[in-house]
Amino acid sequence: MDDNWGYVVAGYVITIAVLSAYGGWMWFRLRRARRADLDH
Amino acid sequence: MSTRVGVGTKILGAAAFVSLGALAVFALVVAPPDERQGDAQRLMYLHVPAAWLAYLAFFVTAVASVLWLVPRTRSTTWDLLAGASAEIGVVFTGLTLVLGSLWGRPTWGTWWEWDARVTTTAVLFFLYLGYLALRRTGATAQERGTRCAIAALIAFVDVPIVHFSVTWWETLHQEATVFNRDLDVQFEGFWMPFTLIFAVFAFTLLYAFLVMVRLRLAELDEGREERQLEEAIAERVAVTV
Repeated sequence: MDDNWGYVVAGYVITIAVLSAYGGWMWFRLRRARRADLDH
Repeated sequence: MSTRVGVGTKILGAAAFVSLGALAVFALVVAPPDERQGDAQRLMYLHVPAAWLAYLAFFVTAVASVLWLVPRTRSTTWDLLAGASAEIGVVFTGLTLVLGSLWGRPTWGTWWEWDARVTTTAVLFFLYLGYLALRRTGATAQERGTRCAIAALIAFVDVPIVHFSVTWWETLHQEATVFNRDLDVQFEGFWMPFTLIFAVFAFTLLYAFLVMVRLRLAELDEGREERQLEEAIAERVAVTV
């Protein structure tokens, strides 16, 4: 195993974290919109 | 208006999720390390498709903006699609920059270099960040649509500049590699080119899924704002009467 695995792991972890955060934010907003629609 | 996403969107999301899982296995386990760069080259399977996705997202924003500006095709959907796609483009341009920086450190020996490709990509990121800020400024839907469509078309000028920057200027960033006939690129075996093509495919699926969900959300926000406005007007009228 060479010394560069740290950069590789960091890249994959950051990508997963960013996409999960963005997806989670959209899911949260959709849920809130659904709830607001039901209340209305 | 239904607040649920359609079955097609859900299937697309599942396909994107499975493809990304498979991509992680291909990129981290199956594909061999590069002869010169070693394992650092595995970042290519994220960096290249993220950059491709940014181009695609901004292209869709530009097309949707043109469709908004042409009176015959003008529809709120085009304006909302332009905004949804630009937001996804900004996320992936940011990722491209971060992943490029992580790849640059072991291969170039630096986290950041003000060379033409990196600088024009950073400019692209801030141009579209400005575009997203412009979408939040107060105005009627018509005014906002027109203002943002013009801004999107101006910002899109930077996309070909980013792409051709490596041929127009001397850069530390490598030239176009895969489709460059002047370079005799030798991929090692089957898995390296396959994984790269598969990565582009998986990210494109992800884009299609994200843009559909984001558009749905934008439509819901737009509908709620209209409803609130109508309620406020009705209340005002009731008070006056």
